[in-house]
Amino acid sequence: MNNKLQGKDLINIGIFTAIYFIVIFAAASIGFIPIFIPLISVIVPLVGGIPMMLFFSKIKKFGMLTICGVLLGIIMLLTGMGWWCIPTGLIFGLISDFMMKACDYKNAKREVLIHGVFSMWVIGAFIPIVVTRDAYYQSLLPGYGQEYADTLMAYMPDWILPALLIAAFVSGLVGGLIGRKIFKKHFERAGIV
Amino acid sequence: MSRELLASQKNNSGILLDPRTKLAVLITIAVFILGGSYEGIMQYYIIVLAAIPLLLLSAARKWKGAVLYILIFGGSLCLEMFGLSRLTGVANYIAVAVVGILLRFTPSVVMGYFVVTTTTVSEFVAAMERLHLPQQITIPMSVMFRFFPTVAEEWSAIGDAMRMRGIRFGGGKVGAILEYRIVPMMICSVKIGEELSQAALTRGLGGPVKRTNICKLGFHVQDVIFLLICLGAFAAQIYVLAARR
Repeated sequence: MNNKLQGKDLINIGIFTAIYFIVIFAAASIGFIPIFIPLISVIVPLVGGIPMMLFFSKIKKFGMLTICGVLLGIIMLLTGMGWWCIPTGLIFGLISDFMMKACDYKNAKREVLIHGVFSMWVIGAFIPIVVTRDAYYQSLLPGYGQEYADTLMAYMPDWILPALLIAAFVSGLVGGLIGRKIFKKHFERAGIV
Repeated sequence: MSRELLASQKNNSGILLDPRTKLAVLITIAVFILGGSYEGIMQYYIIVLAAIPLLLLSAARKWKGAVLYILIFGGSLCLEMFGLSRLTGVANYIAVAVVGILLRFTPSVVMGYFVVTTTTVSEFVAAMERLHLPQQITIPMSVMFRFFPTVAEEWSAIGDAMRMRGIRFGGGKVGAILEYRIVPMMICSVKIGEELSQAALTRGLGGPVKRTNICKLGFHVQDVIFLLICLGAFAAQIYVLAARR
């Protein structure tokens, strides 16, 4: 079998990244209310599990998840979430790719775990808040005002970064399980895969 | 034809710009207006950047978009400068948040709108190839941009169908709504996607040979001017950062 990515695989990546982005963007728009911002790292993996599990079933070659992660990072940059999602998308996409390869692309239980790992890319959206805290605070002031900035900072202490990473992983697992259940209920029966 | 990103036919876009210039302007606006810190001279430079989409829109004779842009952006700018200090308490909090979001998002959204309505898919792919980006990034990316409006259209159609069945937000369990909306959308999207990839393969996408392209690309005077404005933004930001130390 040819292991290089063909045109069809690349088109599949584009399609599923688009679906995934629209689904998570709809879910993550609750972040306009500052106290819900940390919740994004729970909601995004939870909802994203459904499209991702279908995507995983289409993956038969190495590299597809890495490309998907990088693309997500690029859209995040264009929609104003900073450039940190590009490296995190690359790293967690690559890890997930290796895990997919290790289980030979057909272990359904392992795929839930892989979705947990892949979901951790979402941490890239929070890195600027914690790592460059002062600059981020300053950048919020003129646009969003003192109160929004203060509220956000109060909800984002330094230790929240690892906590959010774990939260993303755990809810990625749950999201994977939900995705798996829906996948069995609908897609297998409908003959999509 | 009603809804599409990345036009399939060439429209008259007024000032002719290279797709690469458009992307550079879009990224500059996204970085500095959406995510930038409004310090020192950047405060004034941002006005210059925000004027670019307006200029381009009026040059392309998209009057409706231009007027809307002036109303939304200019209105929230005036509010921020004059109106907000008069409000207090919760009203102030809400107004600040709304105005802040509008001020930050409209320029990028409008610029994004301009880029995708005046660039054809083949121009986009050709420009990405000139940037020497690998095929592994350019193909998924152009498919993705082509696919966003399709998914959005399916999403609203499914929303209508579900409303007819009485499944709506606030009416029942959240989980059920999620399932009834996402599952049909994904089944549709996968079907459309398969057709799309067949169509693209027929046109030689992903073939082993280098694809040729009839689009004329190249930098002209207007490209140089816009690129200089973008470079100026980065220079100003570096100056601000250096001055802070």
